Amino acid sequence: MTEAVLSKKNYDKSTEVKSTSLWGHAWKQLTSDKMTVISMIIVFSYFLTALLSFSGIIASGWANEVGASYAAPSWAHWFGLDIFGRSVVDKTIKGAEVAMSVGLVTAILSMLIGTTMGAIAGYFGGKVDEVIVWFYTTFSSIPYIMLLVAIAFILGKGMLAVYLSLGLTSWVSLCRLIRGEVIRHKDREYVHAATAIGGGHKRKLIRHILPNVFHLVIIDFSLQFQTAIKSEVILSYLGLGVQGRPSWGTMIDDAKLELARGVWWQLAAATFAMLIVVLAFNILGDSLRDALDPKLKGK
Amino acid sequence: MNNYSYIIKRLLYVIPVILGVCLIIFILFNLVGGDPTQAMLGKHATLEQMRELRVELGLDKPLLSQYFDIVRSAFTFDFGRSWSTKQQISQMIKQGAVPSLTMTVPAFMISTVLAILISLVVAFFRGKFIDKAVVFICVSLMSISSLAYILFGQYFFAYKLGLFEISGYEEGFPLFIPYVILPILIWVVLSVGRDIRFYRTVLLDEVYQDYVRTGRAKGLSENTIMLKHVLKNALVPIITYVIIQIPFLILGALLLESFFGIPGLGGMTLNAINSSDFPVIKAVTILSSVAYILFSVLTDVLYTVADPRVRLK
Amino acid sequence: MSEEKLLEVRDLKLEFNTDRGIVTAVNGVDFDVYKGKTLGIVGESGSGKSVSALSVMRLIPNPPGRVADGVIKYRGTNLLDIPYDEMRSIRGNKIAMIFQEPMTSLNPVFTVGNQIEEAFALHQSHLSKKEIKNKAIEMLRLVGIPAPEKRVKEYPHQLSGGMRQRVMIAMALSCEPDILIADEPTTALDVTIQAQILELMNKLQQELGMGIIMITHDLGVVAETCDEVAVMYCGQIVENADVNTIFHNPSHPYTKGLLESIPSFDATSSAKKEKLPTIEGMVPSLFNLPHGCNFADRCPYVTDECRTKSDPLLKQLNPNHLVRCWNPVQPAN
Repeated sequence: MTEAVLSKKNYDKSTEVKSTSLWGHAWKQLTSDKMTVISMIIVFSYFLTALLSFSGIIASGWANEVGASYAAPSWAHWFGLDIFGRSVVDKTIKGAEVAMSVGLVTAILSMLIGTTMGAIAGYFGGKVDEVIVWFYTTFSSIPYIMLLVAIAFILGKGMLAVYLSLGLTSWVSLCRLIRGEVIRHKDREYVHAATAIGGGHKRKLIRHILPNVFHLVIIDFSLQFQTAIKSEVILSYLGLGVQGRPSWGTMIDDAKLELARGVWWQLAAATFAMLIVVLAFNILGDSLRDALDPKLKGK
Repeated sequence: MNNYSYIIKRLLYVIPVILGVCLIIFILFNLVGGDPTQAMLGKHATLEQMRELRVELGLDKPLLSQYFDIVRSAFTFDFGRSWSTKQQISQMIKQGAVPSLTMTVPAFMISTVLAILISLVVAFFRGKFIDKAVVFICVSLMSISSLAYILFGQYFFAYKLGLFEISGYEEGFPLFIPYVILPILIWVVLSVGRDIRFYRTVLLDEVYQDYVRTGRAKGLSENTIMLKHVLKNALVPIITYVIIQIPFLILGALLLESFFGIPGLGGMTLNAINSSDFPVIKAVTILSSVAYILFSVLTDVLYTVADPRVRLK
Repeated sequence: MSEEKLLEVRDLKLEFNTDRGIVTAVNGVDFDVYKGKTLGIVGESGSGKSVSALSVMRLIPNPPGRVADGVIKYRGTNLLDIPYDEMRSIRGNKIAMIFQEPMTSLNPVFTVGNQIEEAFALHQSHLSKKEIKNKAIEMLRLVGIPAPEKRVKEYPHQLSGGMRQRVMIAMALSCEPDILIADEPTTALDVTIQAQILELMNKLQQELGMGIIMITHDLGVVAETCDEVAVMYCGQIVENADVNTIFHNPSHPYTKGLLESIPSFDATSSAKKEKLPTIEGMVPSLFNLPHGCNFADRCPYVTDECRTKSDPLLKQLNPNHLVRCWNPVQPAN
């Protein structure tokens, strides 16, 4: 009976399986789907438009009267003119500034507040957790619209009020999710391992646990972004929104008077602009969830 | 833990939450809310008049007693009088509840049944074209503002095509029907996208479970698997989702009622917002929060009944 | 073999469409199942043993999988050709299957009794409801569950892992199938419970006479239950022989490696000093199979011929011993 001869020299490296990180794999999956790529391009274009508009490179003349009041769409003005003879297209572009900034600020606020509260609650447990859970249970018991209106009411009108009221009402769902995940991860072996080599609270939380919950943050980000854009419309209708500059919300709100005169183009432009970007965010959010959710990775 | 002690514990937890809600309302309206007397009396109000009004409205009481007033109203449902209409708010609520319900209840039932049926079909044909098409349509429906739907619906179907009443309301069955059809349709369109997505996700979560494979290995047909095995498992989260929407039916749809002139609680709330009528706003907020909290307990309890894993010996 | 042949699988080839391309998970596999005998299909994860068994039941999800070639003959009928409804009437009835994870394989919202009754109601619909209920209780008794009249009304989560697996077995055997396919039935169970379940399966086989396909990676399970063994590697059967030959006279270097890596409780001093032998290297990715023999890179007896000549064919060393190797280890006679 011959002995087994263990020999490494003939081992062929090309048959090794390369392991891909979660992010690398996710990026690959995202870019392979046409709809997702289109959505990413759309979102990017909207941001670009907002930036260009903000810096005055385009649509800077939105406030100028360029024709007759309520002129219908024509080759010169694709979406016609509003009551003051201003170009609806320009107003829509300017409105993108409000939409993108509102979405961005709300999503960032939601991310910061939600992650912090959720992580602290989940990690430290005990009384701290009880207080935070009581707090967000209370918060979420109040219907979204009432809370939004109440906070916006207090803060008055204007952009800052819009940012704050939307941001302060959007963090609960993320907080719950993060708390749940942190609790699940807290007792996992790799965290105990970190403790064994002398890791402190901050280190464990930031270096070890948070990277594992980050996918939830990303997914929530896209959700909050589009919710904020749609909520801004409601705020504008209630007179609590942006003042002195066009926003899609104010354009849609104006339409309630215009429609009786058969003027539909402001409604159409704002609705269409919003539809495309919110749809893109929805598709992107779904694809992100499919790509980043570790449970789905095997399927 | 015993089933009953779980329910008791859950009900007891309601109290600190209600107290918390009152606290938030207190902070928002009594503390930070600013003095509404200026707005109510107009530009030329004297300080004396404003002081008098403040006493009349009970705004001069110590803060703690103001807080307790709110708490008391949460348990007794006596919300005092409206600042603008001077009516008893509890009376206003009773009057406004029925018109709201004539719209929201049928809308809710239609959209729920429709959404569940469509999502069963879509889950059955998962991955095929009809699945992807329906999901895309749902997502698109969710991407349009509710205000846009209302404006468009009202303009196009009621005004231009004259199919429905533009606005208004008549009490009594069946007189109110022509007035609520369009708002009901708009509500259905608004919620069906979001509902289908949720039900579909729940169903698909079940469809990939191991027991489905076992069912196939036993020789069951795909129909039986979907309608008996998958659906029963999916019912648990579905019931939770459906029940928790019920408290909001009473509130009515703020925008829909306002645009379609339906004299329900939603319109009442909107008017209160526009006229800074704090007591009404507070009352509606408290009412809907308490309803939501109680229904949350209900769904938790139903969960223990429906899911045998949670059910206790 | 004087026994009746129930199942004959020839040239089975299974392909999966993945986002990295088409992968052949099973590449030309043959095996037979006889009445009253147990065939063991052994291999590491990814060797193709589970999907081979799933394809007998036509349970491979399509997409992304499909049977690219081969025949699966049950009592002479090619199961791959018959209409789906006919296949359904065979599943759970003539050919049954039990799975690895008894907790998730049972429906959590139905009682165990209900789930066993379902099998009867489906394939033996001539029975009355009362008869079906009684039969379910009898099945539970048959698989050794105490107080079956009470257990029948319980839910899966109320039972232990071992008992759930017994319920799975009861469900599978309710219509007295010809063939039972067991996919790693004891892997998720404690060692002591493992022994009980395997003993139960042997006993039931003696009583009911069904043929069993036992899929496992555990050679201990093979020793306990199998009459014949097929060893799989990278989607192919590399050795097929009766259980004694496999354990005492393995011919394929992979089989030899597997057996040598089983730790032994040999108290001799030489055994204590030696390191546990392992098979060098890693299983190649199915997306990147080497030229020549799949095992070449890890084989201690590899020659140039092994690397260059395409897939070795199955050689017959004895009437009952097949090996896929250019240089099989000759049996010590």
